[in-house]
Amino acid sequence: MKKEEIFVKKFQASMVACVLSVTAILAGCGTNQQASGGNQGTTNTAAPAQTTASAQPASDKPVEIDFWYALGGRNGEMIQEMVKKFNETHKDIVVKAAYQGNYYENHSKVLAAVSAGNQPDVTMVEVGSIGAFADAKVLEDLGPYTNGAESKYIPGLLGNSYWKDKLYAIPFNRSTPLLYLNRDMLKAAGLDPEGPKTWEELREFSKALTKKEGDKTSTYGFSTAIDIWFYEALVFQSGGSILTEDNKALAINSEQGKAPIAFWTSMLKEGIMKAPPGEKYNAWDVAKQDFLNGQVGMIFTSTGDLRGLKENAKFEVGAAFLPANKNYGAPTGGANLVVLAKSSDEEKKASWEFINWMTDTAQTVPFSLESGYMPVTTEAVESAEMKAAYEKEPNFQVAVKQLEYASPRPMVPGYKELQEVIMTELQRAVMGQATVEEALQKADEKGQKLLKK
Amino acid sequence: MRKAVAAPQISGISNPTKQQVRAGVTQAWMERLRPYLYVAPALTFFFLFFLFPIAYVIYLSFFDWTLLNLEEMDWVGFENYSALLAESDFHQVLWNSLVYTVSTVVLGILLSFLLALWLNKKAKVYGVIQAAVFSPHIISLVSVAMLWMWLMDPQYGLLNALLEMVGLPGYTWLAETKSAMISLILVSIWKGVGYNTLVFIAGMQSIPRDIYEAADLDQSPWWRTLTRITIPMLSPTLFFLLVINTVSSFQVFDTIYVMTQGGPINSTNMLVFYIYEQGMDFYNGGAASAASVILLGLVGILTFLHFRVMGKRVHYQ
Repeated sequence: MKKEEIFVKKFQASMVACVLSVTAILAGCGTNQQASGGNQGTTNTAAPAQTTASAQPASDKPVEIDFWYALGGRNGEMIQEMVKKFNETHKDIVVKAAYQGNYYENHSKVLAAVSAGNQPDVTMVEVGSIGAFADAKVLEDLGPYTNGAESKYIPGLLGNSYWKDKLYAIPFNRSTPLLYLNRDMLKAAGLDPEGPKTWEELREFSKALTKKEGDKTSTYGFSTAIDIWFYEALVFQSGGSILTEDNKALAINSEQGKAPIAFWTSMLKEGIMKAPPGEKYNAWDVAKQDFLNGQVGMIFTSTGDLRGLKENAKFEVGAAFLPANKNYGAPTGGANLVVLAKSSDEEKKASWEFINWMTDTAQTVPFSLESGYMPVTTEAVESAEMKAAYEKEPNFQVAVKQLEYASPRPMVPGYKELQEVIMTELQRAVMGQATVEEALQKADEKGQKLLKK
Repeated sequence: MRKAVAAPQISGISNPTKQQVRAGVTQAWMERLRPYLYVAPALTFFFLFFLFPIAYVIYLSFFDWTLLNLEEMDWVGFENYSALLAESDFHQVLWNSLVYTVSTVVLGILLSFLLALWLNKKAKVYGVIQAAVFSPHIISLVSVAMLWMWLMDPQYGLLNALLEMVGLPGYTWLAETKSAMISLILVSIWKGVGYNTLVFIAGMQSIPRDIYEAADLDQSPWWRTLTRITIPMLSPTLFFLLVINTVSSFQVFDTIYVMTQGGPINSTNMLVFYIYEQGMDFYNGGAASAASVILLGLVGILTFLHFRVMGKRVHYQ
């Protein structure tokens, strides 16, 4: 989830309405372009000369479905390759895949396209937004299509698939936060190279790793972006939850919500933790850079960073569970695949077939090995290929093992805005502009307003 | 062909037939219509992409709507506006926009005026400096923002390395609420000063030499020449820059998006970024439209005031 490219568009404020329709048009163009490009590779699938005997002549014509995805770079190329393979092996379905920018750009384009009536049939939705999309009746209930096939997915990854007891989304590219360790540094300090297991151990490890030169700190023990994802993790570890059970209010104005902030601020005060400067992903990048430069010993970041960090580090990189407070805990992240409610029955059937294929063991294993996202089926985790990979690189297995303790991200409509509010209040508390109580009080008030909508 | 050209000449001499009258009438019509046909493409564009969106966003600002469900739009009258104006975050956004605009406009124009005074000379070296000062203007603002973000990095950045080299403590730049706004203003001035300087120099060069020669003959001291001749003669230029800079500062977006995302703690969140966040991130269409109309109104009022107050003092030759 956490490798967003910065994509900047000059946004003319006075043209909200205009932009919406324009994005819809552009999105449409994108599909067509991609489609013509995709067809060049798979002309044989589109060929109508199917001589196989068919009961209904109407089904001779393959069903066309549009798939909008939100992964760029190598991951995006892999998706294109998978789609090509699907088209080659499924003569009755033609999938046209189109890249639509990062998760949130894709969300806006999908919503604009739905209102314009030229929406895709399958797309990716970030896990925290599933509820909002389902409530808006944009998504199709997949229950009638799967016939129980969803039991093949790892249960820890299905938390963000159900909304109001209906199955709306299938796990696809999924990540989770991990604790990354500079093992060389830990060994040199005489610490357990497997890393700290609890918050108190994390504090002790950090203290032991922190080095000062005069009044300047040259090495910090620990660093993490003050991000909602990690805050969620620490709340879960304290036995709490972000929202109340009925999703109507924030539950963080409590002991479990205060503990993470108190923990972070005390470590910052002690000078053994660094809060990387920068907003949102800028702060993540700083933490990773500091880690690679050996200026911090341990960081929190996504499973998706494992490959990149390993390749660029001049030391032994270790991955471990996020340390426990009362218990282990972590949110998951990334995106799920969904089918749009506005598509025709024929398209929906084809869409499920496509999703089912994309997330099947044969596809999820190579996708996971290459991208660093977690495999999504239980069978995949136990496959010989995956086991061999884990044997060679035990770090890759840590994320899947941690899933046992994972909780879904909150996904009520309005959480996207609420998480920004929480992050701002976290910053206020961490930077000393407000007490923990004041910050959480304010987040709570805002939350009640937002969740009532 | 020749016949057709000849026809009107004949009709001018002999009595026009009925047919010729009719032809004359359509021709007169065509004459009248022709200019409109010429501007029609431009007008269509103007209506479609400027007037219509403005009218439509005003209309949309009276509804409670979200991008998530465009079929349910509830008429709420001025509720979006009253909710925005009651919101403490929005107050901060307005205040930030104001601080940013006043600082960039005043400091930016002052700096470029001084630079223009210095660079408005014949020697080649001034041309080179002028080109160097202008160069940021041709770089994309996004690249500029990325560049400065690196320069301002508290740990690896060049600026703090330089500060530490001369024995000064490093600055917090984008990391603290107080310094983030100053950093953004700095980038904006750096980016805009070249263009402003160029316009000032062009203005200075169009001031007739004989006025200065007369001043020289009268042995007018330099500061009097400056305040009585240069500045008044530059007032149209100054006025133009004031309006342009105010409007563009109010619309700052790229640097915020790339460098601060409105943070830390909303300290650099300004109008256009707020609108973007509300509309495209949170799908609060009503709030985003209402904030857009407020932006439109504010920029409109400011420009109007400029014209009323400043416009009277501007000396056009």
